[in-house]
Amino acid sequence: MSLCLNRLQEERKQWRRDHPFGFVAKPKRTDQGTLDLKLWSCAVPGKKDTLWDGGVFKLDVIFPDEYPTKPPKCKFTPPLFHPNVYPSGTVCLSILNEEEAWRPAITIKQILLGIQDLLNDPNPESPAQAEAYNMFKKDRPGYERKVRQVVRENPPM
Amino acid sequence: MQVAKEVAQKFQPNAKLEAYHANIMDRQFNIDWFKGFNIVFNALDNLAARRHVNHMCLAAGVPLIESGTTGFNGQVQVIKKGKTECYDCNEKATPTTFPLCTIRSNPSQPIHCIAWAKSWLMPELFGESEGEDSDVIDSTEDAGNADEIATLKKEALELKEILESMGSDNFCRKVFEKVFKIDIERLRGMEDMWKERQPPDVLDYDKLESDSAQIEPTVSELSRKEWSIEENFAVFKDSMDRLTKRLNELQSDWTGSKKPILSFDKDDEDTLDFVTAAANLRSTAFHIERKTKFDIKQMAGNIIPAIATTNAMTAGLCVLQAFKVLQHELDQAKMVFLERSGARAINSDSLDPPKPSCSVCSAVHGSVSVDAERATLHDLVNVLRSELDYGEEFSILNHGGNLVYDPDLEDNLPARLRDITNNLDYITVVDEDDVAQVPRVNLELFFVERAEASSEETKPVTLQQGLEIPRKAKKSTITSSEDNSITNGMSGPGKRKRDGEDEEMTNGHVAKKVAADQANGDGEDVIVLDEENGKDGGAILID
Repeated sequence: MSLCLNRLQEERKQWRRDHPFGFVAKPKRTDQGTLDLKLWSCAVPGKKDTLWDGGVFKLDVIFPDEYPTKPPKCKFTPPLFHPNVYPSGTVCLSILNEEEAWRPAITIKQILLGIQDLLNDPNPESPAQAEAYNMFKKDRPGYERKVRQVVRENPPM
Repeated sequence: MQVAKEVAQKFQPNAKLEAYHANIMDRQFNIDWFKGFNIVFNALDNLAARRHVNHMCLAAGVPLIESGTTGFNGQVQVIKKGKTECYDCNEKATPTTFPLCTIRSNPSQPIHCIAWAKSWLMPELFGESEGEDSDVIDSTEDAGNADEIATLKKEALELKEILESMGSDNFCRKVFEKVFKIDIERLRGMEDMWKERQPPDVLDYDKLESDSAQIEPTVSELSRKEWSIEENFAVFKDSMDRLTKRLNELQSDWTGSKKPILSFDKDDEDTLDFVTAAANLRSTAFHIERKTKFDIKQMAGNIIPAIATTNAMTAGLCVLQAFKVLQHELDQAKMVFLERSGARAINSDSLDPPKPSCSVCSAVHGSVSVDAERATLHDLVNVLRSELDYGEEFSILNHGGNLVYDPDLEDNLPARLRDITNNLDYITVVDEDDVAQVPRVNLELFFVERAEASSEETKPVTLQQGLEIPRKAKKSTITSSEDNSITNGMSGPGKRKRDGEDEEMTNGHVAKKVAADQANGDGEDVIVLDEENGKDGGAILID
């Protein structure tokens, strides 16, 4: 079994046994009824007592064959209103960047917790979408209204 | 293949040679086919096929001579299950990819602009758009936030609208202004990005058009010259024209279900011209050096030079190692390196034993006979529990890497094995009973289909041999250090990876590095070519 699958199977086992409350991480079901270990459906809850509290945000986590040498790609479905999320939904985060902070030891749990932190703590140094970035910079009340609306549209499942 | 066979046949007319024109990863080359050989030579050009053959040879218990070359470097590795390291015992460098942020918003090297032109702009205009998959989003789920998504998709839509005007006179201008003006203005507006570097410049279509009026499109033939911005503009316009015409012709003749597209091919002049010019225009906007068409062909085409003499010498080294394997002198076999630099052209190192932590070669291989019509996952799980002592906690994966069974996935138990295991090739069983003890190594079971449907009294799944499944060397868990400082988003443009040239590492290079680290420096690694007449055979030393 390849290093990639070996690791993903281990991640699945660890998550099965223990994971943070309110988070979801599950390999997607294929047409045959088996689970595709390289494509996970995940959900990240907004942190308590933040603007994002009360929302649960769905994302796909896509693992390349070179995982864990290379990081997975995380993509909100549907795309999320957030300064560090590309219009396609892809998350821009240092720990998901091979040239920056990605290390093979980073677990799925750490990735999802990192994305949860990012929600309320965007990084204006690396904007990924113009709309959320501009509102965050220039119209904070408008930004916060919009986030609250997004939270309402993404209730817990 | 056929030609290689005919040439080889001349050396030994009595040999029985069989040529296949096929993919070694095809099903027809199953484990029984591999078992039919005394030795296998790899002369492959990609990681996936190398890994596959390595795995099949391990499973079949057949020795493998793995080899590869890059330019003047060559390398040969002897692989035998249980005796030596396998191909996957050492991590292999993977081809570099770039994060989306670097390509789409923040390029700092020519290769970033080349990747943008080749892997983003070219497919967006003439191929399959990346955005198309986002249209597949379930619309009911979207209903609540349709407005938001509409805004988010605006950028992608702008380009789509432009695409509808393909073929019209101002198509080229529209594309140019979208990618070199509107998008760049949008990036300039994000001021925080440009604190530490100069913001990109907007390119002016009208000015470039008038400045380049005298330039003939034939400038694109000067592949070793670095084109000026005006020359790049002229080639951009001309190649857009050529590609648009070609795509129109393809699509007007099109009757099938899959819409014809144009994709980048380093040997297709039109696409190479387009990628060269678009990449150079983007480089200019971002104050990055421009590259020649010749350079871009190498960089975009991932060309690794092949040298016939290196290949021939490496093939010779493979044969010498094969003699040792076939004469049952595996302890004499070596890892051999051919290189141009250094004191000697040919160096060698002794073979290391298998790495206990390697999940590929530590696995136990066995086979089960199955009645394809009747055998269900449940039957297999029963055999694992009753005959191989598996407990409650284990997972089963199929060859495609999909999870078939684990303690939280029992719905497939009634499913027929052949429906969930790629038509009965093999499965991997991962022992997870690791709470009180070290789990056992992985078990790979290859299926052998029974020729005839067996009677009801016969079990639909039976082991073909007794199997000893040892425990793992040590407990393997994910080491999760808590000290990682997670920073949000990507950082500024300051920190960059090494230059593009270093990144074209192929397997040969990496394996060599690994072994070079282990080389002990004494004189033993000189290879003696003719061992039987040792007095005549000398070390090859090239200064």
